[in-house]
Amino acid sequence: MSILAYNGAAIMAMKGKNCVAIAADRRFGIQAQTVSMDFDKVFEMGPNLYIGLPGLATDVQTVHSRLKFRLNMYELRENRRIKPKTFMSMVSNLLYERRFGPYFVEPVIAGLDPKTGEPYIASMDLIGCPMETNDFVVSGTCSEQMYGMCESLWEPDLEPDDLFETISQALMNAFDRDAVSGWGAVVYIIEKDKVTKKMLKTRQD
Amino acid sequence: MMGEPLSDYKAPVQVHFSPYEFNGGTILAIAGEDYALIATDTRLSQGFSIHSRESPKTYPLSEKTVLGCCGFHGDVLTLTKVLGARLQIFEKDHNKPMPTPSVAAMLSTILYYRRFFPYYTHNLVVGLDEEGKGCVYSFDPVGSYEREFYRAKGSASAMLQPLLDNQLGGKNQQGVERQAMPLKQCVAMVKDVFTSAAERDIYTGDSIIISVVTKEGTKSEQFPLRKD
Amino acid sequence: MASSSMFGPNNPGAFWTGGPAPGQFYNFPGSQSTSAQNSSQRTLYPVVTGTSVLGVQFEGGVVMAADMLGSYGSLARFRDCPRLLKVNDTTVLGAAGDYADFQYLSNVIQQQVIDEECLNDGFGYTPKSLHCWLTRVLYNRRSQFNPLWNTYIVAGIDDEKPFLGYVDKIGMAYEAPSLACGFGAYLALPIIRDAMEKNPTMTQDEAVALIDRCMKLLFYRDARSLNKYQVAVITKAGVDIRGPIKSETNWEVAHMIKGYE
Repeated sequence: MSILAYNGAAIMAMKGKNCVAIAADRRFGIQAQTVSMDFDKVFEMGPNLYIGLPGLATDVQTVHSRLKFRLNMYELRENRRIKPKTFMSMVSNLLYERRFGPYFVEPVIAGLDPKTGEPYIASMDLIGCPMETNDFVVSGTCSEQMYGMCESLWEPDLEPDDLFETISQALMNAFDRDAVSGWGAVVYIIEKDKVTKKMLKTRQD
Repeated sequence: MMGEPLSDYKAPVQVHFSPYEFNGGTILAIAGEDYALIATDTRLSQGFSIHSRESPKTYPLSEKTVLGCCGFHGDVLTLTKVLGARLQIFEKDHNKPMPTPSVAAMLSTILYYRRFFPYYTHNLVVGLDEEGKGCVYSFDPVGSYEREFYRAKGSASAMLQPLLDNQLGGKNQQGVERQAMPLKQCVAMVKDVFTSAAERDIYTGDSIIISVVTKEGTKSEQFPLRKD
Repeated sequence: MASSSMFGPNNPGAFWTGGPAPGQFYNFPGSQSTSAQNSSQRTLYPVVTGTSVLGVQFEGGVVMAADMLGSYGSLARFRDCPRLLKVNDTTVLGAAGDYADFQYLSNVIQQQVIDEECLNDGFGYTPKSLHCWLTRVLYNRRSQFNPLWNTYIVAGIDDEKPFLGYVDKIGMAYEAPSLACGFGAYLALPIIRDAMEKNPTMTQDEAVALIDRCMKLLFYRDARSLNKYQVAVITKAGVDIRGPIKSETNWEVAHMIKGYE
């Protein structure tokens, strides 16, 4: 069994009209045994910037704190907010530094450009090979299910409310067909002047 | 140097023999109130090669029973031949075609007969039950089976199944119960989900064949998918 | 051991050190054990092999081609191995893979054809029936873990219509308007499919020219091929196996390569 699937996770991000959304499940487990249902995998990296880290839970937390450190250093040195694309490079760089002993996380990044408000999403493999798309990105133990849902439900230029419904349905129905992810979900809808965080109650099995 | 001139001789290429191969393919079946629907793609592949773009994986077993069968194509061919023979024997013995639930029960025993050298096939049997209601039976490769309302099998099953849960099973929708979908809407959704699967799964594509079983018999239609 | 236990708990033991027990055979030193002598030989890897076979349908017939090389690993060992078998006036069989297995199956098929002929009932192999029979033979052999290490392509005229069928060593089979196996599936088949898409009503001459071009291409790029090949043309008029044909090749592009003149 892959180390990437040791704890289980499902994370996706989607673009909408002047908004982006990122959603993740809440489970922390050790293989088939569920340990807790309030585990954070999506982290705020700025007012309009979020990163989701599915993978080995210990690496999720390590990568998050090391990223936060690098981000703080960047913003102190530059005295400005980071652009999502620059942040993506930072994550990619951090992961590739461990090319031959990688962190077992495959990040998803979602955000708005601090100046223009341009939506941005990207995903990455565990050694930092980035992929930027114009529709949606998925990562985690049920990526096939998530691709199936997103490919059918997503459409261009969704308003924030519709984007919330779309990403929630896509995520929930995907992880319900995965044994090692689920147990509640969190959805962030990121707009220019507002971020809405919603917790989803889902089936607990 | 005399002695053993062939001592460093090695067999030309050591190739390992594997009796199985994965030939891709996706099947999807839905049971309606008075109909049953089964759809498969028509691609036959092996690794990164496409053998055929016109190889449907639905096999009409009788007027009102259709089998969907994918996995290792060699086993698919053999299994469908065995089933065809058994059904013919039944028809000659009893002077009527075998009912769909009985076909499903028989398929289960045929699959289990090869428990320790299995047919590497994913199977769905669809048709009408004794009351004329649509029925879908889904099988694992060694014969475990159950009756269901909808099921996706094969290479893109993980992509299709959650969507069926949502759209047909009413899952994760508050205050919505599972309800039978009208045939027209059903066919439109099947085309949609296969188009989605063909975007991401290299073993699904070229076209789909949708077969609908009603009390009048079986009707099929073809719908194109991406060919790359 | 079964035979030593026939004495029950009073096993008398071997006659002498290293010798047989009563009722058992003596194993001469250096020779293989009796159990190995009872085992049977199976094709677990191919030995002398043939490479690609190509087949394409045209208006009113089928063309099939295979080169005449029998490779022994990377050695071009035999240069006169026909890999197209004329079964009767409507059917041709082409084989890739182990040449010995093909020869074995050729003998079986030819005997069957003779047996059918003796019945004199007007029935014989059609391409479809030969293809169907081959799927069963190959599938049964793979199920006994004793495969015939070949890929077969059956070409012919069935019910006035052109037929092309594929079967491999594990019994995977299908029919298609154009077929290729081995390297031909990667190098020649895309060209054949493209040509057929652009010209769906191909004539016999166009199909033969297409196959000739593909055989030349395979000689250029497939290291296990030879520029000596046979072409079978099957039409209503019967089977015509042409060849050996030699590809006209041009090595001007290889002007940097010296020393082989």
